[in-house]
Amino acid sequence: MATKSGNATALTVLSPIKNGILNQVSFADITRERCLRLPIHEKSPLSKVPNTYLARLFILDDVYYESLPANDKVFNFSDITSLFSDSARKKALPRKDHLKSKYLVFSSSFYGDLDEYLRGMWDNWSYVDHEGNQRDVRHIWEYCVAFDRVTDSAGFIHYIKRCQLDASLFFNGSTDDSLQDQLKALYLKQEFTRFAVEHQGKGAAEIQQAFKAFIERAQPENLASPTWPPGKSTP
Amino acid sequence: MTQQLDLSDIQGNVIKAYGRYNFQKARYLFLRIDDGEKGRKFIGAITTKVTSALPWGKPGDGSAPPIPQATTNVAFTFNGLQALEIPTASQRGFPEDFIMGMAKRKDILGDDGPSDPANWDKVWKEKVHVWISINGQSIDAVKKRYDWIQEQIEASNGGVVLLTGHRGEKGEDSLPYQDASVLYDATGMPVPKEHFGYTDGIGDPVFEGQTNVAARVLGRGKLMRDGTWLPLATGEFLLGHVDEAMEYPKTAPSPWLLAHNGTFMVYRKLHENVGTFNRFLDEQSQIFDGSKEMLAAKFAGRWRDNGAPVVHAPDDVGKAEWDRRYAAADDAGKKKMLTDFTYNEDIHGAKCPFSAHLRRINPRGSLEFGVSNAYDTPGALVNRRRILRRGLPYGEVKDPARDDGNHGIIFMALNADIQRQFEFVQQQWINYANDFKEGNDKEVLLGNHDANNPGKVVLAAEPGSGKPPHFVSNIPRLVETRGGDYFFIPSITALKLIAGGIVDPT
Amino acid sequence: MSNIAGKAYAMNVITPIRWYMTWINKLIFKTALSNPSTLKGLVTLSLIHYARWVIIPRDGFPRLDPSQPKEELNYSYMLFFSNFNGSWDQYVDSFTFAIPSGLDLFWKWNVRYPKSVPLTPFHNYIRHNQIDTAHYYNAYPMASSNDVKSAQKIKKALINFNTASADKPPEEFLNDYNKLLNDMQHHFGDMKPTPIVSLSADAVRKRYLQIPE
Repeated sequence: MATKSGNATALTVLSPIKNGILNQVSFADITRERCLRLPIHEKSPLSKVPNTYLARLFILDDVYYESLPANDKVFNFSDITSLFSDSARKKALPRKDHLKSKYLVFSSSFYGDLDEYLRGMWDNWSYVDHEGNQRDVRHIWEYCVAFDRVTDSAGFIHYIKRCQLDASLFFNGSTDDSLQDQLKALYLKQEFTRFAVEHQGKGAAEIQQAFKAFIERAQPENLASPTWPPGKSTP
Repeated sequence: MTQQLDLSDIQGNVIKAYGRYNFQKARYLFLRIDDGEKGRKFIGAITTKVTSALPWGKPGDGSAPPIPQATTNVAFTFNGLQALEIPTASQRGFPEDFIMGMAKRKDILGDDGPSDPANWDKVWKEKVHVWISINGQSIDAVKKRYDWIQEQIEASNGGVVLLTGHRGEKGEDSLPYQDASVLYDATGMPVPKEHFGYTDGIGDPVFEGQTNVAARVLGRGKLMRDGTWLPLATGEFLLGHVDEAMEYPKTAPSPWLLAHNGTFMVYRKLHENVGTFNRFLDEQSQIFDGSKEMLAAKFAGRWRDNGAPVVHAPDDVGKAEWDRRYAAADDAGKKKMLTDFTYNEDIHGAKCPFSAHLRRINPRGSLEFGVSNAYDTPGALVNRRRILRRGLPYGEVKDPARDDGNHGIIFMALNADIQRQFEFVQQQWINYANDFKEGNDKEVLLGNHDANNPGKVVLAAEPGSGKPPHFVSNIPRLVETRGGDYFFIPSITALKLIAGGIVDPT
Repeated sequence: MSNIAGKAYAMNVITPIRWYMTWINKLIFKTALSNPSTLKGLVTLSLIHYARWVIIPRDGFPRLDPSQPKEELNYSYMLFFSNFNGSWDQYVDSFTFAIPSGLDLFWKWNVRYPKSVPLTPFHNYIRHNQIDTAHYYNAYPMASSNDVKSAQKIKKALINFNTASADKPPEEFLNDYNKLLNDMQHHFGDMKPTPIVSLSADAVRKRYLQIPE
């Protein structure tokens, strides 16, 4: 399946939002505002969801009409027929499509197993919204079709899987290590670079001694700490 | 058929680096237009003296105009074009970067700390509308043309104001012009150097339509898959011509005649912290395995004395050999030695570091990182990021141990799309290095190094040699921005349209 | 809203594809998967953390309840999600000129796709079909894809070196240490916040974080 690349997984979720209005605002617009207002970087609820490399939320309101010029077929028979018939010309224009529901789109690239990841979402997704209220993952999905039946992590996993789409191609231009591993590695890269610069030109014994102290402090094999917290945005 | 440029229509500074034609002195004027009609009349008068790109003949050669004593060129900020009352529809066609101007782009350019617009010469707090340049074969020729321009300003009867506020040699801060000059050696001979001692102005891009392209294109055009060089597309540097994307630059305003044969210019006054540079180079060379000159060369990608490319003269021994070959070469051979190289023989940067100024501003084919046929063409990431460089040093270094005073470079970059070319190079390649896989490591010389969190660069060692790379760390801010803006250099036809008030995009 | 999180840019593109042509795209993707050299340009560019192509058959939009109206569509749809370093306006040139045929291969069968060169129609096509991201999260805003890969190499090398060489006599230690630095010399780039690639995105970021302007 193309949804996985090694240990990295591409999760693509389209959750239909109920057509309807609450207090004069559509469910889709309420959902959109909740996504827009999520705190960013270290404070994003996704920073608490284990093994999330990169993830995003947006609302798919509709598909676009291709009002663009192009020459997108091998041979445009209509180019010839259009010369003689205006209806042939019109028929060759792109068809107009519209969606009947709006969709909450959640896309995540993460490490590991899907069920475990989704359980992590259900259990750990938490944040304080811009009005100071504590929220969990249900706040985002609240107005999606049939989400009111979701009451526990098993139900959430089942729900998301029903909304999931397979990727035809998942391109991994990075690594498929666990997020903890990636973050530890970034921490080590920064720290060891600093060490190497500071000890340039020093004597063998001095570097060796300092290196041992460095290893003691940086603990390369301890993934938990010291390390970069997920979403760390400033040095 | 190859591109034929209408050189009589293109302003001379676009095609010619005047310094190469023995114009040793320059003066840059900035003006404000207070009255559209009077302003247009003034521009009309100036246009009569604007220097075109026509080739100059030798004295006595009647077929081409003789080389003049002084040249004059003109360009406008967006506010200047508004003051000259070009139609709104024409204004709307200009790109966002040009409309905003350089000061408002400071976060893109990294003009922070000492380079912040708050610290620029006072003139940049004025409403700068017009740039006029005078390049002269002597300071007297410059002064004569300057006097003539002042007469035109007076004749404008308050329509045009010459702005004051340039810092000068003697601590003045309200001069009405910025002077620039080539530097001279101890014997009084002009030398192609700037205040840090580097040889400058080798290897500007070569594009279709320029004369004598075949002789100059090596190392200066675009690198092709078979190792040959072709001139870059004209539209990279001139509006109204097809560019490397096989289209007309989309930064062009309408009507066509307003844009055609024009281009955009970035003007920057860059102060050089000479004392800091000399101290830093001295300190760093103490711990560097090689001479001080070799380290200076690693910063720039060229040796200071004669511009020898580091990729072919990677260390002191290599430089001595290169110098022997250079001395034996004829003129054409010398030029070739200075410009005809790639980094493909040095894909790991063990000779010319990834951080070297030269490699950063023009990586040639090296961003394929040695992967054969990775991209459509070896220059895929480079050909849309080239700039023509113009300008001269300004000021005098009275005490090489000090930073203060008034000395640096008047840097001018010409390109069809400021954001895609100049700003991209400045931001992504000088102040950042992800395309070189060097994270946030800034270029040594021009980077906006942060005193509170100073950066470093890595001078790679030969891979597999077991030798550690050399780290150059605690890099101070060596160059500071002291002013500048974004200008539009119209064609001479467009100048006449603007001056005549007859621009009509309908 | 922002399509930018630190050094990464989130791109979402949805384009119609004739339903009877989707098999060609699927075949192309399959070939790309089994034949890594088709992605050589993309790998060398090294600007992407993760990217995916998803094809939604015209009857394939998730329908969870009989109360949800059934979609009736003429076309199938291709979704493209990418996490890359730099902004789209800045890097469209790099993608287009590095891998024009790769881009054409993946989008060729999409309705009204103009081809990657000349650039403006291609740029406009992507923009026309692009959906902005409402919330974008990046676990390492200060790291590019290059940095993540470099870090992995440094971590491995450091652990190996520590095991093998930390306790050797000083001169031998130094020898190995210098070799370590030589092996890792292209992975020592500093990681700091991204340069500001978009003034509007930066203004939005500051307001989210309540940094005074």
